[in-house]
Amino acid sequence: MDSSQVYVLNSGVQVRRENFGLLFYNYHGLRLYFVPIGDLIDSDFFDGIQTVGSLVEVLHSRKNQPKQWIRARIEQILQLITEKGLIHGESIC
Amino acid sequence: MGNRFVERGLSAPVNVTWEVSYACNLSCTHCLSDSGPKRQGELSTAECFQAIDQLAAAKVFQLNIGGGEPFLRPDFLDLMDYAHQKGVVTCISTNGTLIDDDTARRLAKEMVYIQVSLDGATAASNDAIRGKGSFEKVISALDCLRKQHIEVSVNTVLTRKSYPELDDLVVLAAAYGAKLRVSRFRPAGRGKDAWNELNITGEQMIAFSDWLGRHLAVSTGDSFFSLSSEDRRSLGLNMCGACKLTCCLSPQGDIFPCAFLQEPEFRAGKLPEDRFTEIWSHSPVFASFRQLEIKSCESCHRFDMCHGGCPAIAYHMKNRLGVPDPECLVNCVTVRPQRVGVN
Repeated sequence: MDSSQVYVLNSGVQVRRENFGLLFYNYHGLRLYFVPIGDLIDSDFFDGIQTVGSLVEVLHSRKNQPKQWIRARIEQILQLITEKGLIHGESIC
Repeated sequence: MGNRFVERGLSAPVNVTWEVSYACNLSCTHCLSDSGPKRQGELSTAECFQAIDQLAAAKVFQLNIGGGEPFLRPDFLDLMDYAHQKGVVTCISTNGTLIDDDTARRLAKEMVYIQVSLDGATAASNDAIRGKGSFEKVISALDCLRKQHIEVSVNTVLTRKSYPELDDLVVLAAAYGAKLRVSRFRPAGRGKDAWNELNITGEQMIAFSDWLGRHLAVSTGDSFFSLSSEDRRSLGLNMCGACKLTCCLSPQGDIFPCAFLQEPEFRAGKLPEDRFTEIWSHSPVFASFRQLEIKSCESCHRFDMCHGGCPAIAYHMKNRLGVPDPECLVNCVTVRPQRVGVN
């Protein structure tokens, strides 16, 4: 996964933060997706401003956990949500 | 459905049922909100905008709009435009009699779903419940909506009279590019008076549950979650979503657990003067509703599929909450299914 990428919501998808993690809503089919990731990723990450690399840095300094572990976890989550058709990655360069 | 996450409490409902007016140009015999003339105290346009602001700020994803007949409000399309600007999806339930080509053109955009009500597959059966001439107007509305490629469902309230026509309704809806949605009849509003005449029999209920299991494309808006067969388990809820996933905003701005429990004792607050997030998170009415447990159902083998069923039906039929849905498939109906008329 490219660290300089940002992730944005697909058309018709909304997301909000809940105490368990993220709650996605897909207008196409009116479906809900519960993503239990705690406070790892906030909903505004999908505004497409913060890169994956920047998120990893922020979490590393906040949680004092190894960057490699954080990066792997974030990549796993983003891949899962991407496969559900809720988000997609974009390059900002 | 992530029950364990829902049970922990969401920060806001996923959707809010908003009855925008009591005014209606029809007098359906089973109307849950006893609609007719516009009533005193209905929210003004400015108040509606404020209510939408609050719901959007709480990140409510979807408004399920009903009434009364929403299109009787002169400001209705402006309200919908405003909700869409705020990023809120709308699902509009209408009797369809006021939708023409111009209205359909204005509705033709993302973020809009339409549900048009039909309670029979013929003019004779539909109009007996919804009023003379309504069938023809609905067919015309479906035609206008189809031309604009708007996503439409035909909504049928399950009654003794509509039940034998379900297969025909599936075909009729499909002819207009629509899906059939079947809603549960509840003894609220004028439905109380029509209950004994129109509510389906136990035999029909069991057969209907079986029919739903064989018609997975028919949606129910989860009003039949308590009757769902194993085949539909992945399609939606297995518990009442009131105060957990949804709530209701009345034409006068009152907030209730659901559209079928708009009794004074269930009033949790009022928009726009009260803060919606405050009502959702701290209303004693909602807190007590969330703690509702149907203890007598917990040992039932179907408990995991219904959690006691619909509290509104229990309330209206037994005059209290906390008791099993009186139309529970296990305890109330012991006859074998009949498939006559429904394939």
